[in-house]
Formats: sequence, C-alpha cells, structure tokens
Amino acid sequence: MTETAVVAPAMSRERVGFSLNRVGIIAMNTLTEAVRQKVFNFFLIIGLVFIGSASFFAQFTFGEQMKFIKDTCLGVISVISTLIAIVGTAQLLPNEVENRTIYTILAKPVRRFEFLLGKFLGSLFLLDASILAMCLLFGAVLFIKEQGMIRELHQAYGVNLPAAEATDLNQQIQQVTKAALDVDLVKAVVAETMKATLVAAITLLISTFSTSLVFNVIVPFMIFVAGMLRGAAAEVWAGHKLLMALLAVVPDFGLFSIADEINLGNVVPWAHIAEIVVYGLVRTFIIVVAAHLIFSRREI
Amino acid sequence: MGTKLLVVIVLFGMGLALLPMENSIRAERLRLKYGGARVTFQLREAIGQNLAIALLAGLRGVVADFLWIQSHGFWEKREWLRQYRDMEVVVTLQPQSILFWDVGSWHMAWNIGYAALTDPHNRTRAEGIKREREWHEKAREFLARGIENVPNHYDLYFYMGWLYYEKLSQDCDVPPCQAALCRAAEYFRKAASFPDAPQYVARMYPRSLEKCGDLVAAYREWKRLWFQDHTKVEQLWSVIEREIKDLENRLNIPNDQRVFPVKPS
Repeated sequence: MTETAVVAPAMSRERVGFSLNRVGIIAMNTLTEAVRQKVFNFFLIIGLVFIGSASFFAQFTFGEQMKFIKDTCLGVISVISTLIAIVGTAQLLPNEVENRTIYTILAKPVRRFEFLLGKFLGSLFLLDASILAMCLLFGAVLFIKEQGMIRELHQAYGVNLPAAEATDLNQQIQQVTKAALDVDLVKAVVAETMKATLVAAITLLISTFSTSLVFNVIVPFMIFVAGMLRGAAAEVWAGHKLLMALLAVVPDFGLFSIADEINLGNVVPWAHIAEIVVYGLVRTFIIVVAAHLIFSRREI
Repeated sequence: MGTKLLVVIVLFGMGLALLPMENSIRAERLRLKYGGARVTFQLREAIGQNLAIALLAGLRGVVADFLWIQSHGFWEKREWLRQYRDMEVVVTLQPQSILFWDVGSWHMAWNIGYAALTDPHNRTRAEGIKREREWHEKAREFLARGIENVPNHYDLYFYMGWLYYEKLSQDCDVPPCQAALCRAAEYFRKAASFPDAPQYVARMYPRSLEKCGDLVAAYREWKRLWFQDHTKVEQLWSVIEREIKDLENRLNIPNDQRVFPVKPS
C-alpha cells in the first residue's frame, strides 16, 4: 500500500503538468472541510463575541472609549487570526494521512506540490474569511459607537444653540467621526493578515514532517513567540554575529505590530506597509518552498 | 538526510539574505518612533506575569488599556499612589499616546491634588497645600515628559499651558503667580502655532498674555486674530471684538488708532 502511494505521485509527476485548477479545487475542498470544524467555529465565535462586547467601555471619555475599542478589536483580530492560522493549518496534513484520504488523492494525477499548495491556500481562504468577518463586525461596532456618541453629544448640548456652542458641537462631532472612521485601520488589518499568513506557512512546514497534532500546534506557537521577541534579541545580541545569524531563521513578527501606532495617531506610511507585506510574502514563499522540499520526498 | 540539510540551508540562507530588509524596517520603525519601552524584568514586575505575556504577544495597546482601566478603578477607590504607579507604567508602554499623558496629568493636578489638599489626615491646612503643590509639580513633570515624547501635536503644549494657567498660577504665596501665567502664555503660543489647533487654543494665548501682565502683547495678538479672513477662519469673532474693545480702553489707545473707535457721544 505504502509502496503504491509513494510510486503513484512520482508517475503522475511525469505525466501531468502543474494545474492551477487542481490547486483551486483542493483549496476549496480544504476550506469547506475547515469551515465544518468545531475548533474553527469556536475560535471565530469567541473572536466575534469579544469584538461585539468591546463597545461596553461606558464611563470614559470619548477619546478613551474609541481607543479602547480599537485596541481591543485589533488585539482580538491578532490573537484569533494567529490561533486560526495555527490550528487550522496544523491538522490539514495529519488529518489527510490519518483518514487515508491522501492516498486516494495522490494516486490520481495530482502533484504533491499542487496538493500542498491547495491545502495551504485553503487554509489562507479560511483565515482571510475569518479576518473579514471580524473586520466587518469591528466596523459595525465602531459605527454604532460613533452614532451613540454623536447622539450623546446632541443630547448634552441641546437644541437652538448659540453660534459658539454650535461650533464646539460640530468640532466634537468631527473628532468623534474622525476617530471612528479611521481609514488607517485597514493598514493594521493588512499587517495582521500578513502575520497570520506567515504563521500558517510555518505551521504547514512543521506539519510536513510531523504527524502529531499537538506538536504541530505547539511548535509554531513557540516559533511565533520567539519571533515576537526577535526585535529585542537583535538589540541585545547586536554584537554577536553568530547569534544574529542563528536568529535569522526565525521571522521577526514584531515588525508586523503597527496596530498600536495607528491607534495612537502616528503616521504609518503605505510604503512601510508595502515593505512589511513584501517581507512577509518573501518569508512565506521560502517556507512554502521548504515545506515542498520535505513533503515531496516524504514517505507517506 | 540530504533533504533536511537542504531545507536548513534554504531557511538559513534566505533568512540571512533577508537580514538587511529586516534591519531597514526596524530602522524605519525607530525613525517613526514606533513601540514603547522594551519588556524588562522591572516592567514585568510592575505589570505582573499575565500582562507581560500579553505584552510579549504584541498586545501592547490592550495591556496599556487594561492598566488604564485599573488605574481608573484606583481613582474611584481613592488609592492615589497605586493610580499614579499605573499611570506611569501606561505611559512607559505607550509613550506616544497623547490621551494617557493628558488625562494622567489631569488626574494628578486636579483630582489627586485636590484630594491631597482636603485629606482629613492632614495635620494642618499648610500640609494640605504643600501636598497639593507636590502633585501639581508631579503633573507638570509628567506633562513635560509627554511633550518630549509627542512634540509634534498641539495637545500637550495646550494642556501644559492650561496647567500653568489654572493650577501652577495658584502655587505661590500671593496668587496669581505672574511667572506661571507667563509660562502658560508661552505654551499656549506654541500650541496655537500648530495649524490643526482648535480656535480656543488661539484665544488662550492673548488671554494668558493679559493675565501675565503684558497687555500690549495681548492687544497685538487679539488684533492679529481679528484681522484674519473672517470668511475662511472659524472663530468666535464676538469674543475677540469684546476683548479688543476692553484692552483699547485699558491701554487708552487713541481713538484714531483703535480697531473699534468710540463714537463721539
């Protein structure tokens, strides 16, 4: 059985070329399977509940409330997307092996790379759909809060205002609207999505040589934590070339943390976001290539 | 064995190749003043283990907000020193936040200061005044650090001016203290120089100049405000008109040089 499974893809590689169509079909199947998983739904619901309840910061100033909501929602998006990236990707390959479905797929004219890429893209679709759902709710929370604050301001000022107070009211409403409809929040979401994509790629790499689900979840998480600390480590070990070289293998996840800066009103140029995205894409590409190198030679 | 070695070489090789790019992004972050204090053992001690983990996971804003809400709780319980400690940690975590510097200094100068003044444990009234002034000074020092961290916005200059105008101007033997009011005017001038400063900031500058005793400079500034284009600048023109008329009387400006000449009766 094993012998057949190993030989089959080798034969199919000779006969068929790379097909985006097959990759797409595998990706869509992966997405469908993943959506049915309880663990994914659990994380997504937890995320949505946290985001939905973020608007209950009542007794603070308008500025504080908006900041708290944005920090909480972006924090939840960051944590939940990372968890979904890890858990959603960690079980892709082990499940296929455990259920023996991988044998039937690879026995068909499907390249191993197509299979791996399809699985990875399916996982990314799931991730992006989750982030989109959380972002939509985040937007709704901000909109509802903005409308509530404007209503409160109108009530506080009353009607038939003198010119001076009307000007003050308009200025305050403008500030609330500006804080709520902050287009720069898109930049934070882009950076978080890129970070989660990279985490998913690392998890995929780990799952190409490990069949233990626990291992596949814990190791990427530890790499993620190490990656978050890389910036600090790079400062401490600045003079040690060997240590710095060893560090190079771990992506610097701290570079994707720009949500705080956006919430604080700091300037975050699109050029900076582009640089982060390029860095993330290059890292992801390398890791997927490494995953392919292992998976293509793995005995299943 | 060959595959594993190849993978290790690919990962390390490409990681090394990406180092310049990482360094460039890091340098850009430094230039743009992103991030707050590094997570040190002292910081971990101050915020506790759970929050330190959240901090390491990149949730700096959430941790700062949590501590801010906690400090708000200490305020409600009248535990001022704990509140002060939390506010210090919060601004260490997010030194770029105008909100934390502003509200933190307000708590110190207005709420904690007043509580210290009226504390029943004070043996004498003088002790209360001394303690209130100490909190005013803490607020001033706090805001000064805020201005160092966020020098490119009008807000903290304005709040510093307001602190001098309202509180520090009372902290001398015979209030109002002229020196404090003159310092207030300096900060209001700086705040008003930012193009996005609201209209009231611009009005506070001549008002504080007046309190500082420099009526001529105040008159000059009110006139400068008045002669802006009324169709383009949003201002409370009636207030400015009132102030100019008042100063023209107090300075005995000749009728032909007045912005609002007095009609002969």
